[in-house]
Amino acid sequence: MKKGETYSIIFCGVGGQGLMLLSAILGKASLDSGLKVLTGEQHGLSQRQGSIYVHFRIGDPISPLIPYGKADMMIAMEATEALRYIEYLKDDGVVIMSNRIMPAVTETRMVALDKEKKTKYLTVEQIVEKLRQVTKRVVLLDSLELAIKAGNPRTENSVLIGATVACKDFPIPAEEVRKAVMALVPPKTQKANSKAFDLGRETSSGCLGI
Amino acid sequence: MTVEDVKRSETGDALLLANEAVVRGALEADVKIVAFYPGSPTSEILDTFSEVLDHFGDYKMHISANEKVALETVAGASMAGQRSFTSMKSVGMNVASDSMFSIGYTGLNAGCVCLIADDPYAHSSQSEQDGRYFGEAAYVPMLEPSTAQEALDMTKWAFEVSEKHKTLVLLRTTTRVNHQRGMVKLGALNRTPFKKNKWQDVKGQYFTVGSVARALKAKLLEKTKAVRMDFEKSAFNKLVPGSGKVGILTSGVCYLHTMEALQNLKIKLPVFKLGTLFPLPERKLSEFLKSLSTLIVIEELTPYLETRISALAHLVNPSLSIIGKKTGHFSEMLEYNVPIVEKVLAEVMGMKPTVDYDAILNRAGELKKILPERPPIFCPGCPHRGTLWSFRQALQQLKIRDNIVFNNDIGCYSMAFLPPNEFSDSMLAMGASIGVSAGMEMALEDRVIAMVGDSTLYHAALPGIINLIHHNSNVTLFVLDNSVTAMTGQQYNPNSAFNAGGHPAQKINMEKMFEALGAKSVTIIDPYETRDCINPIKKAIEADGFNVIISRRECALYGDRLKKQAGEKIIPSENVKDTCRGIYACVKEFYCPAIIVDESDHKMTIQQDLCDGCLECRQVCPVNAPRHVEVQK
Repeated sequence: MKKGETYSIIFCGVGGQGLMLLSAILGKASLDSGLKVLTGEQHGLSQRQGSIYVHFRIGDPISPLIPYGKADMMIAMEATEALRYIEYLKDDGVVIMSNRIMPAVTETRMVALDKEKKTKYLTVEQIVEKLRQVTKRVVLLDSLELAIKAGNPRTENSVLIGATVACKDFPIPAEEVRKAVMALVPPKTQKANSKAFDLGRETSSGCLGI
Repeated sequence: MTVEDVKRSETGDALLLANEAVVRGALEADVKIVAFYPGSPTSEILDTFSEVLDHFGDYKMHISANEKVALETVAGASMAGQRSFTSMKSVGMNVASDSMFSIGYTGLNAGCVCLIADDPYAHSSQSEQDGRYFGEAAYVPMLEPSTAQEALDMTKWAFEVSEKHKTLVLLRTTTRVNHQRGMVKLGALNRTPFKKNKWQDVKGQYFTVGSVARALKAKLLEKTKAVRMDFEKSAFNKLVPGSGKVGILTSGVCYLHTMEALQNLKIKLPVFKLGTLFPLPERKLSEFLKSLSTLIVIEELTPYLETRISALAHLVNPSLSIIGKKTGHFSEMLEYNVPIVEKVLAEVMGMKPTVDYDAILNRAGELKKILPERPPIFCPGCPHRGTLWSFRQALQQLKIRDNIVFNNDIGCYSMAFLPPNEFSDSMLAMGASIGVSAGMEMALEDRVIAMVGDSTLYHAALPGIINLIHHNSNVTLFVLDNSVTAMTGQQYNPNSAFNAGGHPAQKINMEKMFEALGAKSVTIIDPYETRDCINPIKKAIEADGFNVIISRRECALYGDRLKKQAGEKIIPSENVKDTCRGIYACVKEFYCPAIIVDESDHKMTIQQDLCDGCLECRQVCPVNAPRHVEVQK
């Protein structure tokens, strides 16, 4: 990256999904690549299943918060949360998202109580259709399926992280990202995480036409 | 880039959360005694000090019962010649301020620093309180950092200011500073061994009343002048040069939004970055004001700076035009960001923002119309869900839902105001449910019910409880005993057998305490035995006098952690389509996020990776549908 340049990523997901680990991995990878990092994080109420985000900025940003329309990339661990923070993404920015949906209880209530059974949960297709009005570069990953394929259903984060390095303007070298994953995941799960990283990278390359 | 960097003995670059940088700063200043009550956005300061306590082994720490006790603890330590530090959220200072005002008068001895963190947008607070007035109101110096680096540097400097002027020093932050992770240059850690002092060697007089207070006040005014002189020279009050007669005054995180907005607009206005909120460096500010025709004041919340700078400008540059909240350019509400600042700067300079932020927000608003809300909710396995369900059943069975008033308190259980519970009669501040109940019990025919968690009980509820018992008030009190201060990250409290650093501590025996105080009855229920809770709750509500229901079950997140440490597995409940009869009590009345409905057959489905296996839902289900299989997953 050139001096004065900034690459901004908005992470989003649902409390308990490991967003902080994701942020730590990319933070370490950036530092090890000689890049500066500034983040605006959300800590506080410790409830799980709430909507959460991290503003993650590499290079020479000044504010810890990404201005609307200036995120180069979004990493969404849950599909509805991608749409919830869409105002941060720049036009034609990259969305790397899981197809997992964790319905809010209020939505489940509406679906359950509709006697005619016409009320349906929001689908990934509906969400992607909206996201595509902002960007064509949407990488939709069946992260759980890929994680299981990698040998451990808990490696979904590595699938998503692997997908980031397939983007040609992503500023952190792929091998530094992989090294950071290996350094921060539990030692016993390194093999599966490495596989998950590769699967995410391959799938993403396909989606981005690289 | 974690707590490891806080411990690092060598200097150099690190990526630290500003809260961690504060801890590092205090450690570099050789702090010896720290005390805290947790509160967002400061809790990671407590957590980090607790985590590195044994690593250093050369400072002492309390997780105190409340912020007032914490501040008094560090004040006592300072009087006794030990450098000390505390931090608290905005409203924590409301509790601590009684002593803080006196400390202003008495002064202190060894360096003593207190961080207070405001929360614009009320992300995790009951109000958007502006704590900047505390410094001025109590004549206590107040500093404000913008970045993680400044958080470290200012913490260190605050110890020097404190020790030189024998005063407490306040460090004021906002959520966006505390929860910012940025590049930090670590300084040297010159820790010295902990050593107790002798009072004879360090003693002073910390006493204020009447004539003593009047004499101290006169000295305090002189001290403030001396501090102001130092602040005039401080590099933390800096002028970022620019061209033209339009300048900006800002501080804290707003400085960062401002500089990025100026960069976007490609303009260079002179910017005064204020690092000391009290006393203000009036001479330096006056010079700045004299050089301008227009000043833009950029600050969140109340027009604290704008008001003071207007008064100063009236003396030194009466023709200065001041743009801020009073001119309607900025709001007193919510937190700021680059777009908010950029729009005003563009307007004042006759430019257009680099991006049409409003158009982006409008488009996003349209796209998001299909999005269901995700309201905050109790975690899977949370005992509060069961307690509140059985409480609702008890009210229904007694047919008194419309004949009670429910006073809620501060904790995860505050969410009882949301569906499906919707208990929203009152909630003010830590422990306030008890005092409010005293008034309502006199004023209303209805049955008065209050609810506190264990941490809130010991924080600020006890005087109110003693008051209720003393007055023979008819109040039912729920104490939600989940072992820890759950909401802020499961810190220990007087209800825990541990304290800072995980060291053993004396757990207060709650039921014995209530019995000794003379509560009419103390009933202990287990919210995981959800149905069995209904009758005891009914009995307690119907009885006269002050009755306590202790609902005892550890916080699910804390429980999971204990299980993990013990090598135990969390066994989720089985998916039970064979027994689900589509009654949906679990969905309508329970709101567990692990439960969803399968659209293909409209049966309930338990998401295995979210379920905590508490089986509260089995008790809520009229046909006991959810169950455990005996296979470990």
